[in-house]
Order: sequence, then C-alpha cells, then structure tokens
Amino acid sequence: MSTKASRAAARLMISPSVILLLGWMLIPLGLTLYFSVLRYNLLMPGDNPFVGFENYSYFLTDPGFTAAIWNTLALVLGVLVITIIGGILLALLLDQPMWGQGIVRILVIAPFFVMPTVSALVWKNMFLNPVNGLFAHLFKALGLEPFDFLAQAPLLSIIGIVSWQWLPFATLILLTALQSLDSEQLEAAEMDGAKPLSRFWYIMLPHLARAITVVVLIQTIFLLSVFAEILVTTNGGPGYASTNLTYLIYVQSLLQYDVGMGSAGGVVAIILANIVAIFLMRMIGKNLEA
Amino acid sequence: MARAVKTQRKALNTAIAWGVGLLIFFPILWTILTSFKTEAEAIADPPVWFNFHWTLENYVTVQERSNYFRHFWNSVVISVGSTLIGLIIAVPAAWAMAFVPGKRTKDVLMWMLSTKMLPPVGVLVPLYLIFRNLGLLDTRTGLVFVLTMINLPIIIWMLYTYFREIPSEILEAARMDGASLKEEVIHVLMPMAVPGMASTVLLNIILAWNEAFWTLNLTAAKAAPLTAFIASYSSPEGLFYAKLSAASTMAIAPILIMGWFSQKQLVRGLTFGAVK
Repeated sequence: MSTKASRAAARLMISPSVILLLGWMLIPLGLTLYFSVLRYNLLMPGDNPFVGFENYSYFLTDPGFTAAIWNTLALVLGVLVITIIGGILLALLLDQPMWGQGIVRILVIAPFFVMPTVSALVWKNMFLNPVNGLFAHLFKALGLEPFDFLAQAPLLSIIGIVSWQWLPFATLILLTALQSLDSEQLEAAEMDGAKPLSRFWYIMLPHLARAITVVVLIQTIFLLSVFAEILVTTNGGPGYASTNLTYLIYVQSLLQYDVGMGSAGGVVAIILANIVAIFLMRMIGKNLEA
Repeated sequence: MARAVKTQRKALNTAIAWGVGLLIFFPILWTILTSFKTEAEAIADPPVWFNFHWTLENYVTVQERSNYFRHFWNSVVISVGSTLIGLIIAVPAAWAMAFVPGKRTKDVLMWMLSTKMLPPVGVLVPLYLIFRNLGLLDTRTGLVFVLTMINLPIIIWMLYTYFREIPSEILEAARMDGASLKEEVIHVLMPMAVPGMASTVLLNIILAWNEAFWTLNLTAAKAAPLTAFIASYSSPEGLFYAKLSAASTMAIAPILIMGWFSQKQLVRGLTFGAVK
C-alpha cells in the first residue's frame, strides 16, 4: 500500500522525534562516560586530568556504595512484594459484585496521583512524627511508647510510603487483567467442583502472570530511581541507613560537587537499570507482534 | 433463598471493600481535613475529626507568605507546555508509524521506549552542567525542555497504540474519493483520533505535574513548581501541619480530579500497551 513517496514522507515525519531523542540520549550519556574518567571537582578549579578507572574504584569501594546497593535492593524488593500481593488481593476484592464499586475504585487509585513530595511530607509529619503524628497518638492511646519511625526504621518507613504510592498502580493493572478473564472458564471450573483457592491458583494466577510481570518490570524501573521520598523524609540517613543508589549519586555530584565520582556512579546506575530494561523490552516487544 | 445469600455476600463485599478503600484513601482525607483546622487543632491529642472550627485561614496564609500561586502557575506552565510541545512532535511520528509502517518501525519504537529506561540520575551531572552553562538552571524553559524529552516516548507510544486501532480502510476509502493528505488528516483521521489524543494529554500532564527528580534538582526559588515548593516544607519551623496540609491539598486537588477521569487510559499509557 505504501508508495515510495509516502515512505519518504513518513520518514520525514518521524525524524524530529528520532533526532531529539537521539540527542537527549547520546549527549548526556557521552558526557557522563567522559566525566567518569576525569578527576573533576567543581570546588577545585583547574585541569581535569584523565585518571582512568580511579573514580570507579573509589565509588565501588566506598562504604556508602555497599550500603546503597543493599538499600536499593531492599527498597525495590520490599515495595514489589507488598504491592504485588496487596494488588492481587485488592484486585480480587474489587472484582466482586458490590455497591458503589466505582467510588471504591476511585478511593483506591487516589494515592497514585499524589505528588511524591506531598505524600512523603504528609506521612513524615502527620503520621510518623514521634510527637504529633497520628501513629504516636494511637500508640499512646493503646498505652505503648511512641515509636520514632524515621529514626528507628528509616528504610522500612520509606518502603511503606512508596508502597502506598504504588499499590494503586499494581491494583489497577491487575484488575484490568482480571476483568479480561473469560468468566465461562471460571464457571466451568466451579461446576466441576473446583474450590475457590484452586480456581485462583490454576486459572486466575496463570492468567495474571503476564500482568504481574509487567507490573514488576515497570515498577522496578521507577523504584530504582526513588529520590524525592528520601530527600524530604530522611536525607538518606541516619548515616547511610536509607541512602539508595540514586540518592548517593545525587549527594556525590550536587552536594559534594564531585563530577567525576558522580558520573562514575551514574554509569553504574545505568548498567543496573539496563539489566532490568532488557527483560522489560522483550515483554513489550513480544506484545507488539501480537 | 439463593438470592438472599447473594445479597448477603454482596453486602459483605461492599463493607470490606469500602473499609479497605477508605483506609487507603485516609492519608489524603486527613490532609484535606487538617487543611481546614487551626495549627493547634491539627496536632490535638486525641485528634479532632469533624467537630473543629472550619477555617480557610491556612490557605490565605500560605498564599501570602510564599506566593503560592506563582509556584502553582509554574506547575501549570511546565506540565501543560511540555505536554503540548511533546504532542506536536509526536503526532506526525506516531501517525507515520501507525499508517506507513516500514521494516524498521518496530525497532524505532522499541528504541524510543529504551530511552525511558535510562535512570535520570545517570545523566544528572552532565545535564546539570549543561543547564548551568546555558543559564537554564531554575528556568521554566529548561524544565519544559527536560519534561518534553522525558515524556516524548510515552506520548508517541500512546498515540501509536490509539492510531493503530483506526482502521486504515477508512483512510484508503477517503483517498479513493480523492481526498488530499491534508483533508484526510483533518476530516477523517482527527475526529477519530481526538479521544486517544485527549487521554494522552491528560496522562502526560499528570506525569509532568508530579515529576519530582528533575524539578527538584534543576530549580531553586524562581521556577520551582509545586513539587519543589512543597519540598521546602521539609524543614520544620514550629507548628505548621495545617499550612502544609493547605499547600498540599491545593497541589494535589487538580491532578486528583484529572486522574480520576483518566484512570482507564492510565493502564494503557503506563504499560506501553502491554496491558489493555
């Protein structure tokens, strides 16, 4: 159907997007790679000599790096487990017949639309604060000692806040997938005497597998880059207790002005994210052919 | 008998679902309520629920002390601006890929998506330095540019999946009847594409409004949108819960309303069409 002329026109229409995205990707990426092999600190003007992999070896042996890797892993896995299990349960619940389903759906989805700085600050002050927070009031009412969440369990608190933000996303996608399930199949299984649990295990879960994979991969991409929640609640502390990789690189480049080190960290972050990205791209690519 | 059991189960489902729903929504509800309290009522122990002196004082104070609406306006300019510019660049590309697919269309689409996978922190340093040298730090122009580039792949993908659902036979029929390319686009394609474009716009405004990596790192006082402005409340200065709540309520209200309208498109947009 497409002629040579329409092909050429199509190419012309695509090229602005391609050129912009190519520039957006290659220029900063090239500079990051270049800076990562220089001794380059904004506080020390002068030459920026080539130092090979010095920045990388400093970055990778920094005690902050080991802590940040573990915290990043804990944050990503913790939020994934909570949102996937919670999301499946919520999706199953919302799929049942009930009154006011639309309104409940709206209530459940709402946290996803709250900007990260607002949700982090609201949780930090109005819920987790050891003196005036609602949890402190609740603990006192129950006769317990108030707990200083962000000082005693900073990473767990952040996992909680981020899970609250992402639970709606998982729920919404799993619910969408659940609703596309052929109800006849379920009814047939019910007629054959399959118990609810085995209906869930053998029919629903396999049907949801694809959606779960998509949720895992997309959330991982975003969760690797959690930043605002840490910045406004704990500043990565106490010590490195709640510093993830993104936050560590931010501290090194914009607070300590170490361009070389920050760039080396950036390259490490890109490599880690790419490992996840490869799997995600395969999933989406497969769907494109269907 | 069976009907009674059904109604009972429905009532039980309703009760559980409403309970869970309200629990998840509670932090937002509490923020909205607190924004109408005095600072003393905001931290009262035991907490006051509805029986307090409702006041709009916090909203007035927030605006007077910090010029709230300038930051609100920054958010509007940055999110709407970046979305519209992105749309202008994306529509031709998505149109061409959907209706004149070539051998490499799929590769181009996948590559565009892969730019989304680049963690922002990986290019923080060079972008910060480029912005500093070009005088773009703390400017709305700079942020509009960054957010356009960040959301461009999503816009192209969403439009592409919508355009692909338009049967190309209709376009061919129009062409047979002698419609020019311009007429084909304006009279045939556009009316069918408007719903998809509208939801693309809505979702991208939401994403840009809430973006909190670049807005926090590339702005200071002047061009700061609400994400960055609200972050300045993280250093506590005495009693401020009610004011924080007022500032937060105004920051999330417009996007909450838009979000509820776009909830169906959210799935498609955020999964790049992998779940519909």
